[in-house]
Amino acid sequence: MLSIKNLHASVEGKEILKGINLEIKAGEVHAIMGPNGSGKSTLSQVLAGNEAFEVTEGEVTLNGQNLLELETEDRALEGIFLAFQYPVEIPGVSNLQFLRTAVNAARQHQGQAEMNAAEFMKLAKEVSKQVDLDPAFLKRGVNEGFSGGEKKRNEIMQALLLQPKLAILDETDSGLDIDALKVVSDGVNALRAEDRAILMVTHYQRLLDYIVPDYVHVLAGGRIIKSGGRELALELEERGYGWLGIKDEEAAAN
Amino acid sequence: MKSAPTLSSAFLKPAGESLPQPLLALRKERGKALVDMPLPTRKTENWKYSSRHLKLSDELANSLPAGGATTDAAAGGYRIVIRNGVVDASTSVLPQVEGLSVQRFADLTDEDAAELARSLDSTLDTRATQMARLNSARFEDGLLIRLKPDTVVDQPLFVIHEVTATAAGSAFPRIYVDAGRHSGMTLVEEFLSSGDESAMVDAVTEFTLADGARITGVRLVAEGQNIQHIGATGVRQLRSSRFESHCVGFGGPLRRHDLRVRLEGEGAECKLNGVVVTQDKQHYDNHTCIDHMVPNCNSEETYRNIAADESHAVFNGRIHIHKDAQKSNANMNNKNLLLSTGAEIDTKPELEIYADDVKCAHGATIGQLDDTSLFYLVSRGIARREASVLLTMAFINELVAQIPVEQVRNSANERLNQFFDDAFREA
Ligand SMILES: Nc1ncnc2c1ncn2[C@@H]1O[C@H](COP(=O)(O)OP(=O)(O)O)[C@@H](O)[C@H]1O
Ligand SMILES: [Mg+2]
Repeated sequence: MLSIKNLHASVEGKEILKGINLEIKAGEVHAIMGPNGSGKSTLSQVLAGNEAFEVTEGEVTLNGQNLLELETEDRALEGIFLAFQYPVEIPGVSNLQFLRTAVNAARQHQGQAEMNAAEFMKLAKEVSKQVDLDPAFLKRGVNEGFSGGEKKRNEIMQALLLQPKLAILDETDSGLDIDALKVVSDGVNALRAEDRAILMVTHYQRLLDYIVPDYVHVLAGGRIIKSGGRELALELEERGYGWLGIKDEEAAAN
Repeated sequence: MKSAPTLSSAFLKPAGESLPQPLLALRKERGKALVDMPLPTRKTENWKYSSRHLKLSDELANSLPAGGATTDAAAGGYRIVIRNGVVDASTSVLPQVEGLSVQRFADLTDEDAAELARSLDSTLDTRATQMARLNSARFEDGLLIRLKPDTVVDQPLFVIHEVTATAAGSAFPRIYVDAGRHSGMTLVEEFLSSGDESAMVDAVTEFTLADGARITGVRLVAEGQNIQHIGATGVRQLRSSRFESHCVGFGGPLRRHDLRVRLEGEGAECKLNGVVVTQDKQHYDNHTCIDHMVPNCNSEETYRNIAADESHAVFNGRIHIHKDAQKSNANMNNKNLLLSTGAEIDTKPELEIYADDVKCAHGATIGQLDDTSLFYLVSRGIARREASVLLTMAFINELVAQIPVEQVRNSANERLNQFFDDAFREA
């Protein structure tokens, strides 16, 4: 489904990704772990099409299509979804209006009829229950005044509404208490499907107790330095990143 | 050296002789004071951004003739059409409400007209509103709206100021509202036009609020691109009265509005909201001034400008807290959004505070659409254009939602959608 070859990317002239290679097949769940500053969010943002990052080398294809040539909105329509590490607050745009606009953009792209306000409200209420968000949040501005956990649940809610082909979850577990982690994990597990891939970015292994990945990769200094199965995450939990030769977070970033 | 330009004498020949004698006399007197009036120039502080947009060719000195097509206005039950500055009785529905009197200036008794003549201009700072003074020398008709004490009007009164620019010329609409103690009403003024000739509207509206009166003024400025619009609104508020103003303005060759509120009685409060959008080479200039003259008054002002293309918007907000106005509470906020690198916005808060125990907050910002927010929206598959519209609308949503008259809200939204269609057309 997703194929990343020798991907290099920089921000403000500084190279962050230094040759990423990754193959993800439909139905698989991959976890990317790594110290802070190793480039996990950069990779996520580059895949979603954030123009603040410049791709300097390499290629990325989604089901054979050159992803890097697509505009951000077209990547989303082709099935890429990024749950942001830091979801953006947009006062003045209601969450409901935002979600409906996004869902209708997807429906239109797929040749389906747009949903009217009442139909969408019904759907949105159901899905908000699924992530344990009070439907009152639909009326608020996008992420406006949401707590960290509410923002993360709102991201998962969007994934559930948009039903992407590839869901990239950037530290969706950070800042969640154990109950919220459970809710979010249930949401992610509900996304698991034969024809869908999930790329989970996480700093901690605890999320992987709830969402069991097929593959685990360690990202450090802008490269994937080790890949393995589920057991790699457990090993990281036990031994830290040190045994891989990563001294500390600062070093990893440079 | 070239001498400073002055007002052409052609502008000092009013039409409409059917006014009661006291008003004719007032007009004449005001006209005399304007002989050789220097026109605002770049060096005139309160017109420095707008003087070059003021184009007073002699043909604009003509009074626009009566008659012409009625444009589509959003209006409800009570509705009065003022066409080219003259009330059109045939298309107006005058309210029949106990305690409310709405009269044309032409229909006033000499006694009432004499009293009105003493009141006209009393709410304005005529030094700051040079161009409004021309209205006082030229008005041909007008509306005197009087509310008896405790009269609360059940629905808004719509005044449609319409200009039919089938010939070059000007219109000088005039309204005076005298709100008695604890009376209340909403006055909607819509400024619209038809016809293609160049024309000018010089409109003045004044409000006096007795103790406890609650008045809301809603103003929609949406004339065509051949119309220069100069407007002044003056408000005097006595004890515990409340005045709300909601202005929505769409740009043109020249749009200027001076809004002045004097809080003269303790416990008076005002809330002034304004939204302006400009595009192409349009120009819009809002000058507001709030005078806190006595203790314990509140003012709250929120203005938003959005400028696209090569347009230019100006906001000048003055708050003057007089020496005795202790415990004044004044809040002014002006945010501005530039939609293109060619657009310009100038904002200037002017605070003059002579009392020591006051709360006065002000903030002004100028920015562009936020890239991070835009990326978030488009990353969900929302087209960039639509995402831009959502974010731009978010900038003014709150103010549009606060307009307390549904017809105006809808009309404003429709016009805003048209604005967005144009402003975010394929680059
Ligand atoms: N917008 C940006 N501007 C400048 N530097 C950035 C920007 N985004 C990320 N970086 C830098 O790139 C490196 C990788 O950051 P990031 O991808 O956020 O790491 P991670 O998500 O793994 O913690 C860090 O050194 C960070 O400071
Ligand atoms: Mg990160």
